[in-house]
Amino acid sequence: MAMKATKMMPEVLLVDDNPADIDLTSDALARSKREMHVSSVEDGTEAILFLRRQGKYRESPAPDLVVLDLNLPRKTGREVLSDVRADPVLATIPVVIFSTSQATSDIMGSYKLGANCYLRKPGNLVEFVAVVQSMADFWLGTVSLPPKEKR
Amino acid sequence: MLATDQNAASRGPSERPDAAAGHLRVLLVEDEPADVELALRALRQAGFTPSADVAQTPEEFTGLVRKNAYDVILADYKLPNWNGMESVEILRREGLDIPVMVVSGALGELTAVECIKQGAADYVLKDQLARLPESVRRAIREKQLREENKHGQDELARSNRDLEQFAYVASHDLQEPLRMVATYTQLLSERYRGKLDADADKYIHYAVDGALRMQVLVRDLLAFSRVGRQGTELAKIDCNTLMETVLKNLQAAIAESGAQVICPQLPIVTADESQLMQVLQNLIANAIKFRGAAPPVIRVTGKKKDREWMFLIADNGIGIAPEHAEVVFAIFKRLHTRTEYPGSGIGLSICKKIVEHHGGRIWLESEPGHGCTFHFTLPVQPLPGKSEHGDEGDKNDA
Repeated sequence: MAMKATKMMPEVLLVDDNPADIDLTSDALARSKREMHVSSVEDGTEAILFLRRQGKYRESPAPDLVVLDLNLPRKTGREVLSDVRADPVLATIPVVIFSTSQATSDIMGSYKLGANCYLRKPGNLVEFVAVVQSMADFWLGTVSLPPKEKR
Repeated sequence: MLATDQNAASRGPSERPDAAAGHLRVLLVEDEPADVELALRALRQAGFTPSADVAQTPEEFTGLVRKNAYDVILADYKLPNWNGMESVEILRREGLDIPVMVVSGALGELTAVECIKQGAADYVLKDQLARLPESVRRAIREKQLREENKHGQDELARSNRDLEQFAYVASHDLQEPLRMVATYTQLLSERYRGKLDADADKYIHYAVDGALRMQVLVRDLLAFSRVGRQGTELAKIDCNTLMETVLKNLQAAIAESGAQVICPQLPIVTADESQLMQVLQNLIANAIKFRGAAPPVIRVTGKKKDREWMFLIADNGIGIAPEHAEVVFAIFKRLHTRTEYPGSGIGLSICKKIVEHHGGRIWLESEPGHGCTFHFTLPVQPLPGKSEHGDEGDKNDA
């Protein structure tokens, strides 16, 4: 998955405790043929360390887009989101919630905490790939991301 | 059944001695000491060992039944300050189920019948006290049966709730691992089709098919368990507007089958909108699905009949044999193979559950080959629905 990182290449961070979902999402992103570099962590605490480039993540790239699951060990997706929004350096990073939950409370809660969009993980491959690709097309193609140097 | 007093004692202070063994705690509502003695003697002669308290006033009576657990109450009908039948009322207020025997002199037949109507277990005339022991025995036995029955009903309600909770948790928690199986077998099929051998392709196809089918089952089971959990939100619903939405939702199936859905003026009813929509949608979708050779013609009517709305959904489809008219409402019950008609067999169970939660009934009339008519009723004034499980369902709702 790891393509060569260059200055221009967007950085995507996947936060999901299910390795099978990390693989599937990475696979679907790779199919989009977009240039990007994808990293992944498996819990909320690691996600915050990664984003702040602390500990073993000192040399890690600064993400342009975070794809965040809600049910995470140690620190939940909601907590990660609220930490990100409260951090002046990280606050502007687009965060896409990617979860199986369809509960109104999860959807509303995520938007209230400042999620940029909420996507439900579909139950079959074709739809899963389609959702991930449309997300990549939009966030890495259509939108103007906040410039990193302004952070 | 016959326990000795020793056995009774060994059961500990929390349990009362078995009345059938002879020991009997009696509360007498009586102002005449001689009559008290006569009644107790009659019981003793029949093998009872009664221990008795006497209440002269409603206040005394209330105090005693609160303090002691009595097997039976013997109440005189006519007392100087109150009527013995008031004790029945007091017991009801206190939530106590203790048989009350009216023991009285010269009670007119009409009064006697009135006593029974109001809740007395029996009446015995004072000059027929020999009847008393048998009557007491029967009243105590009836009370035991009531308790067993109540216990059985509580048990059934609890087990139903458990089952519903289980169905909810199981279907909810099965979704995640199932999603893994479905997507990864699909990925296998996509990546390795034609690269292994013909058998492998076939096996993978079976695995994908099984996983996708199970997803439908689990999703439907979740929808089914949700009907009871979320309670009903009653509102005034214009069924004509509701039908427009239903027909829009079924647009594809209607166009594909060339179905004609006829629904003249439908009523405005009090129901849970999304649930009523699901009932109508499931029934019409069913009528389209089980169509005969001719394009389906489906008539939907709704009329007031007594204190109910009576809805009819009549089709010209393949019909259902009378012996299957009830089982089709059972969960996961299918009358056809999956190749003939796809589906999980849960649609009609959901309809039944929704209609019954509204206080209505659902049934069908049919002759095989001559179409089928589903009937369901909704009370014109339904009781407000309530959620049986609080609202923890919403949080986990996925």
